[in-house]
Amino acid sequence: MRAGSQAMSRAGAAIEVRGLHVAYGGTKVLQDVDLDFAPGTFTALLGSSGCGKTTLLRALSGFVPIESGSIAVGGKDVAGLPPEKRGMAMVFQSYALWPHMTVLQNIGYGLKLRGVSKSDIAARVSSLLEMLGLAGYEDRKVTAMSGGQRQRVALGRALAIDPGILLLDEPLSNLDAKIRMTMRHEIRAIQQRLGVTTIHVTHDREEAMTMADRLVIMNAGHIAQIGTPEEVYDRPNSAFVANFMGAENVLPLHVAPGEGSAAITAGEARGVLAGQAGLELPAGEALAYFRDDVASLDAPDAAAGEDLVVPGRIAARSYPGGLYRYRVEAAGRQITVDHATRHEPGAAVGLRIPLSRLHIFPAAQASTPA
Amino acid sequence: MSISQRQLALLLIAPGLALVAALFLYPLSFSLISAFTGPQGGVSLDAFRKAWELYSRDMLFTVVIVLASCLFTGLAAIIIAGTLTLGENRWIVGTLKALYRWPLFIPFIVAAQCMRTFLAKNGLMNNSFVAMGLMEPLQAVSFLDWRGIVATFVWKQTPFVALLLAGALAALDRATLEAGRNLGASRLRVLVELALPQVMPQLLVALVLSFVTMLSVLSVPMMVAGSQPTMLTVDMAFRINSYGDYATANALGVVTYLLSAGAAIIYLKRGMAKEGAT
Repeated sequence: MRAGSQAMSRAGAAIEVRGLHVAYGGTKVLQDVDLDFAPGTFTALLGSSGCGKTTLLRALSGFVPIESGSIAVGGKDVAGLPPEKRGMAMVFQSYALWPHMTVLQNIGYGLKLRGVSKSDIAARVSSLLEMLGLAGYEDRKVTAMSGGQRQRVALGRALAIDPGILLLDEPLSNLDAKIRMTMRHEIRAIQQRLGVTTIHVTHDREEAMTMADRLVIMNAGHIAQIGTPEEVYDRPNSAFVANFMGAENVLPLHVAPGEGSAAITAGEARGVLAGQAGLELPAGEALAYFRDDVASLDAPDAAAGEDLVVPGRIAARSYPGGLYRYRVEAAGRQITVDHATRHEPGAAVGLRIPLSRLHIFPAAQASTPA
Repeated sequence: MSISQRQLALLLIAPGLALVAALFLYPLSFSLISAFTGPQGGVSLDAFRKAWELYSRDMLFTVVIVLASCLFTGLAAIIIAGTLTLGENRWIVGTLKALYRWPLFIPFIVAAQCMRTFLAKNGLMNNSFVAMGLMEPLQAVSFLDWRGIVATFVWKQTPFVALLLAGALAALDRATLEAGRNLGASRLRVLVELALPQVMPQLLVALVLSFVTMLSVLSVPMMVAGSQPTMLTVDMAFRINSYGDYATANALGVVTYLLSAGAAIIYLKRGMAKEGAT
């Protein structure tokens, strides 16, 4: 993809969502959603299937009627406007290109609707195609193109009308892994260059992390957490977010607050978390969430230091490449750990987990299904 | 004696082939031969000459009536199927969905009878207009002529075409329609510029099938517009019932068949193009 084409977008528009409620029939899909999108930002709506992320995007674009609330674009409420009057361009999961049209006709359609002359459409489409790495494809039928090329045409069609807001509805999910990686960078680069406010719906965590300035994690129609990729990944505010962001190992703990620290007990293992982090821990029964790559294997009687060393036994081993992946039975749970050294199944081990890397939540809150 | 694969295959298709031969090929061949046979036997075009002299006007009338009916049927079906697909008023879409198929289950002869009572000079339509004060009783005219035939055909065939069209529209990737609206197209533009071009093959097939159906209907022209000019089916019935003139009737049948064949060629070409594309 070439970067040398003309700058063609006006600055991105701001979106302000307040008290948004959406329901399908009697089922509430979005409940009291408040969300701001600053001009020119790239936000990823992330969540598992059925969490309401696509519904939120479709409510913004006008394809889903809202029950109550407001959607303001640049200070003007657009909630009552039909999709064609909202000034948002969308890239669909299926690309939604028109098979009876050529690339030129597809990309130029939005311009044709705006009464742009044929020669201007041709010039604009040509410059877009150059930017998208598809120069000279104007007369090609979209049915004769590969998935990646179609995806670029869909992106070009959305960008052609110079939108203030670009909505991406899982546009990469139908591409194979290699092209998906390339397209992530290309879409991000174009977005940054054009400064268009972009909202990207995805269920792919890595895709959201690598593309977006800001993540909005959604769960059951609510916003679970908003933050930069680092904030959401390193400091999840709930068990759901921790689990969704990959901290899938769960260890039951008991937290006893003390003087300037907290004593943590997991079965026979004990540890002390000093400082502010210890003071912020919830007292009593809790659940700790951590990722596979945080823990390591040690001797069962190894000195704990600032970690928690939980005795356990290796239940299974696999080799996904680079590291061994172990399933360890410890503190009555099955824990997955990646470790460089080979151990035999059945061996007694100590599961070493740095206390500072645990995401600890009260057991009552954490038992909410993730 | 063992049966070869080829013989077995022939044996398997034999019952079907026999049915086609007995019920389709034999009567067709018989009619064709009869149409090309002169009064003294031997090959002759006398029947065609006579058919042309007596009924050339009706031939043109038939083609115009059926083509006009196809045109109006197509338009009505597009409006109905378009509303069903892109309509946003749930009440209108629901009512339309429940109502539009009804004429499918009404035979042509019943439809023709309904139209007689509806379109006559003192029929339901004119009486309603008079009752509403929209016109004077003296201004009432009968629509029981070519207009009545077209109205009956359109009324009867629209549900069929709309059914196929609505099915084809429903099978489209909905996102292709939403993409148009998202870029600023009104619903009418989405229908005309984005949806219909994608379902044109299905619309054409439905219209070709309607063309052939309408071409072969006897009851409607006979009941709705008994006077001249009329459609070829009525002429055929008249030649046989009044004169026992099978040769001329068969010649008219061949003409009708050639008209159908024109439509069938379009249908087959579409089918082959579709198969070639897959």
